[in-house]
Amino acid sequence: MAELTYRDAVAAGIAQEMERDERVVFLGEDVAAAGGVFKATVGLLEKFGPKRVRDCPISEQAILGAAMGAAMTGLRPIAEIMFSDFLAVCWDIVANEIAKTRYMTNGQITLPLVIRTANGAGSRFGAQHSQAVENWAMMIPGIKVVAPAFPADVKGLLAAAVRDPDPVLFFEQKSLYSMKGEVPDGEYVDELGKARVLRQGKDCTIVALASMVHKSLDAAAILEKEHGISCTVVDVRSLVPLDTQTILSEIAKTGRLVTVEENPRLCGWGAEIASIAADECFWSLDGPILRITTPHIPLPSADRLEDATIPSVERIVREIREKID
Amino acid sequence: MDVIMPQLGETVAEGVVTKWYKKVGDAVKADEMLFDVETDKVSTEIPAPATGVVSEILVEEGVTAKVGARLCVIREEGAPARPTVAPVAAVTADATGAQRISPTAEHIAEIAKPPTTPPADGAQGRLSPVVRKLVAEHALDVGQIRGTGRDGRITRDDVTAYIDARGQQGAAQAAVPAASAPAASPQAGVAGQSLPLSPVRKRVAENMTKSWTSVPHVLQVVEADFHRIEQARREHGAAWKEREGFSLTYLPFVARALSIALGRYPKLNAIFGGDRITLQRRINLGIAVDMNFEGLMVPVIKDVSNKSLPQLAREINDLAVRARSGKLKPDELTEGTYTITNNGAYGTVITAPIINTPQVAILSTDGVRKKPVVIEGPDGDSLAIRPVGVLAQSFDHRAVDGAYAAAFLRELKLIIETRLWAQDLQS
Repeated sequence: MAELTYRDAVAAGIAQEMERDERVVFLGEDVAAAGGVFKATVGLLEKFGPKRVRDCPISEQAILGAAMGAAMTGLRPIAEIMFSDFLAVCWDIVANEIAKTRYMTNGQITLPLVIRTANGAGSRFGAQHSQAVENWAMMIPGIKVVAPAFPADVKGLLAAAVRDPDPVLFFEQKSLYSMKGEVPDGEYVDELGKARVLRQGKDCTIVALASMVHKSLDAAAILEKEHGISCTVVDVRSLVPLDTQTILSEIAKTGRLVTVEENPRLCGWGAEIASIAADECFWSLDGPILRITTPHIPLPSADRLEDATIPSVERIVREIREKID
Repeated sequence: MDVIMPQLGETVAEGVVTKWYKKVGDAVKADEMLFDVETDKVSTEIPAPATGVVSEILVEEGVTAKVGARLCVIREEGAPARPTVAPVAAVTADATGAQRISPTAEHIAEIAKPPTTPPADGAQGRLSPVVRKLVAEHALDVGQIRGTGRDGRITRDDVTAYIDARGQQGAAQAAVPAASAPAASPQAGVAGQSLPLSPVRKRVAENMTKSWTSVPHVLQVVEADFHRIEQARREHGAAWKEREGFSLTYLPFVARALSIALGRYPKLNAIFGGDRITLQRRINLGIAVDMNFEGLMVPVIKDVSNKSLPQLAREINDLAVRARSGKLKPDELTEGTYTITNNGAYGTVITAPIINTPQVAILSTDGVRKKPVVIEGPDGDSLAIRPVGVLAQSFDHRAVDGAYAAAFLRELKLIIETRLWAQDLQS
């Protein structure tokens, strides 16, 4: 075990897979010489050379078009979209091409590619550079959607995404890049589609993703210590495939579901979890489902305003205290 | 399929199977009479829910079963004979979950979805899905479970704690063999004999205890001069009886007067719900009916304020007759917003009635008797002989105060004394 930052774990995961498999290539804007705008890919150019680690022009469509073509012709590309907001620029290639190719070719062509992107708020980047858009990806059939909360998961899930035969959207949380955590040494591969129970409680089950996992854990500690409310915290980790078995069984244990998501309210991923819970474990629910989300607004860049919109530890504590008996 | 003890009325928790029309091996058609059930509220015939063969009868005649308990099994045509190990199924959850219900604010507001109306007390009475399921699975009476959640809501932990406690007491499960019901009549009782409570008696006992121990009752009494009502009865009573086939009593007059007075004093036509009082849009008058000394039932006349005096008279008579013969429908016992009880026939002077919670008041009318009354006139006072009745109202002091309740009684008295009642009968 070594203590790595979340951003170091990105580079470690990419390096592990590039060492293992020559077909793995990496491309994006400022990813090579500059080591990435978030410094998450430092050292890869030096290690693997300009043929396998490429800086691209500022064209998201070009980056994903190239990645798609490379995947079609036998490589296993990792493409970076600098800010997840920019997925909108190349969404046709993601939603209509990459997601559909396996189906429309009857499986003759598969696209083993990974799109990494920096997601979410917390860095005061304003409405066009701070969105949490994992829910956009979740609603497109044909792509897998992963969003790790811990450095170890970054490495393990990134490796699993590269090895997956189909396209994976890999959401890295901007606000977590500097967090540190233990990461297994050597080759480390996790499994896509498995949620993780981080804390076991008896009064309610908090289901969270990425940065909200950490806020939920902090909130759960306060709720337990100061208010006698004991919470289970589940890190979803992967929205597609979704580990409904773990999520539903944890909901059934406490009878109460709280989702904590950074998505704006309407059609955030928590709504889907709430819907599944209502469908599949209604008779285990002991009270209304509670969704804690960002409001349905474009995000402000002012620090205080941004802090006021994204679910905070205090807000999670308050809402759970108000809503859970 | 399993045939279960149905939910017959919102407050009903159990029933006695009094007769099976089929025996094991008999073919039965859907909607054909299958068995009779007697509850504390009604006796009724239950039709078969499906066509098939009665493959099992699990509850003998005369045995009490909780709502939701399995009574028999019908093997449907084409269905394989399968072992009947299914527990009291979750499909009963709706029915059972709905027990212990009387009209609440939400109930009146959400009248469009009657089958699972909320219980009266605690958290505006909503039961969560898991509580409903547990209640159905264990055939529990939610009225017995103390809610510790917000606003007294019953939580899953409350139910499991209740089940654990009950398990320790070694209490009975789904079908409880009862001492052969119906219970012997009190007249037949011999001194020293111990009589098991009939379902009606048991329910009356529960409800009365709950109200008496949890509601601060205040009794107020006024006398009212019934001479205008007496006059109307004298003029129209004979023709009425000939035409309608039953006597015109004081009760419909009082009901009519009540509906007018309650319209002006809406806080007495209300439901008390712990942290709020919900004034009711409809005035639904419960009428306490004695079951020939075998218990008490309170059929409800809905929307009294929309009904004429003759209409009220007919409905009260109809409900009383059917109550005594056990032919009331479950929905005729629910949604009351105010209750009237009448012991006048036995010559009582004052009865202090117990409030039918979560309503906030109840009126008792006692005997109307001729009395000397001082009439104040412009030429001085004079004595007259007038039929005088006593109106005794118990109100919930949590909901209203004495002045308001007294003002209401004065209004009621004024209506009784001054309305041109004969005109109500001519219309």
